[in-house]
Amino acid sequence: MSEGPSRWHTTGSLARGLAVGGFGVAVALTLGRPAVVVLVGPLLVVASLALLGKPSREPRVLPRLAHLQLYEGQGTRSWLEMSGTEDAEHVTRVLGQQPFIALHPVGGAVLSPPDDLRPIEISPRRWGERRVGTEKVAMTSAWAGYRWGPVQLPGREMFVLPAVTRMRSGGEAPQPIGLIGAHRSRREGGGTEFSSIRAFHSGDRLRRINWRVSLRQGTLHVESTRAEEDTAVLLIVDAMADYGVSEGIDAADSSLDVTVRAAAAIADQYLGGGDRVSLRVLSPAGEYAGYGTGTRHLRRILGLLARVRPGVPRDVSIEQIDFRATAGTVVVVISPMLSAELAIATVRLVRRGLPVIVVDPLPPGSTPPVHPDPAAQVAQLAWRMRLLDRSHLLSQLGAAGCPVVPWNGPRTLEEVLRRLARRSQLPRIGV
Amino acid sequence: MRLGVARSVWVVRAVGMLGLMVGLLAGVPEGYTPSVAVVVVVLLGGVLTAFRPDHLGASMTMGVVLVWWAVQLHTEVPAGTLVAAAGLVTAHVAGTLLSYGPQFMPIPTEVVGLWAVRGLLVWLVAPVVWFVARVYADHATPTSYWLAGLATALVGAVVAAVVVPTRGD
Repeated sequence: MSEGPSRWHTTGSLARGLAVGGFGVAVALTLGRPAVVVLVGPLLVVASLALLGKPSREPRVLPRLAHLQLYEGQGTRSWLEMSGTEDAEHVTRVLGQQPFIALHPVGGAVLSPPDDLRPIEISPRRWGERRVGTEKVAMTSAWAGYRWGPVQLPGREMFVLPAVTRMRSGGEAPQPIGLIGAHRSRREGGGTEFSSIRAFHSGDRLRRINWRVSLRQGTLHVESTRAEEDTAVLLIVDAMADYGVSEGIDAADSSLDVTVRAAAAIADQYLGGGDRVSLRVLSPAGEYAGYGTGTRHLRRILGLLARVRPGVPRDVSIEQIDFRATAGTVVVVISPMLSAELAIATVRLVRRGLPVIVVDPLPPGSTPPVHPDPAAQVAQLAWRMRLLDRSHLLSQLGAAGCPVVPWNGPRTLEEVLRRLARRSQLPRIGV
Repeated sequence: MRLGVARSVWVVRAVGMLGLMVGLLAGVPEGYTPSVAVVVVVLLGGVLTAFRPDHLGASMTMGVVLVWWAVQLHTEVPAGTLVAAAGLVTAHVAGTLLSYGPQFMPIPTEVVGLWAVRGLLVWLVAPVVWFVARVYADHATPTSYWLAGLATALVGAVVAAVVVPTRGD
């Protein structure tokens, strides 16, 4: 960090003290003005003391960051590991300003003695990959005579995961087809929820016999229960564009902010309930995670969501994408539905008999980023036309049997899933 | 993101400018009144010093104050020079404080306190020099000035030789 030539240089303060003091003494001596010595005497003393404090050692400075992976809104600390600072009286640290990174103290600048240097607190305010900790460090010797640096220290890449609001939903999967889980199945089996009372079959457990009904009917009857199964959830995340202004967590959200946070919350909700979750992001990188369970899979999904960059998928059209949704899979499409191709793909999934829900992440009043030129009014008009198309598309989706709900926190899907479950349990007439 | 100027920085800037003006106007009660042009020059220099403390203009502004005092006075050493010395020290200390970091960085109270004490202590040199100058005001000759200058240069050379390392260090 500090190899090579010395980085100690005289300060402007020392130069000023020497220049003004020397000039004053010269004027006093050449013109015979003792009063000028009175004026510059203190400045000469300051300059002399500063000269006496000339440093001889080169400091070594290493930046340190407590965490390299955080959830948005969390905080960490940045500090300096220093050695050879015996000649330094004060250390100045100034962290570079980065978008969506909050610093404390405000501005990320501190000035204090080297043995009492406070860490700077860093809090990422938005998911994604952020470079933090780029800073400049300077030291000053006693009486501010010499300055070391400022030296630019490189920052580190921080991985900011989308915030997850922990809330277990009471919503059930409409057609769970799995092994063991928390969703009420359509078939009977070993569960806790009452299904019916039926005649005893060989293999039934004796403790399930309902003696009151058996006595009344004269034959053995047992209480049957519904099986409990897990389900598969496919999250389709539309990251083809970002609408609105993002100001970080606890402030204004863009459509992509809502999309990513909603996907994170839904994944956390279902994985926490023991279900299998898959993620498909419609973006240039096409992030994908297959069906999986558990905390590790959740971290993988959150990591993929944090990498999302908006843009149209490369090399593949939406119609060609195989969403790998098997029977019984709950499909959650998080999209503002401004793409006709995605709407068509969604309707196809509905027609396959899958329970599909569209979550609308478009914040009210949001607009696409438009270059501020004279065509702004034209862009506004075009946006209004797009919104009209969108509302038409959303009503068509609703008519096709695909509920569309605006994102309103982790409980958004609860009521819709209940309705879908009721619908799936209704008797159907085959044609 | 654009950060505003810290309040403490504004205060130190104002104190620095005030110090320079006090350095110039300290002789007014004793009849040493500068012309408006000089006041304006020093005021502009004060503004420059407040915003660019390490700029050469800061030293030049102090130089203007010194020249003005040198022109006004001959062998007399009025009490106003003590106040003027305090003003110049204040301006110098303010410039030092401002050069510690960017303008949005608040200057800690401990650092301000440290430099306030230092400024006060070094200012004590001024009354000592003032007293010596008053005592010897009627006895000094051009030869004594040159001898004093020679002695000062000698001391300065010795200090520089001790402090500044040679190439072999």
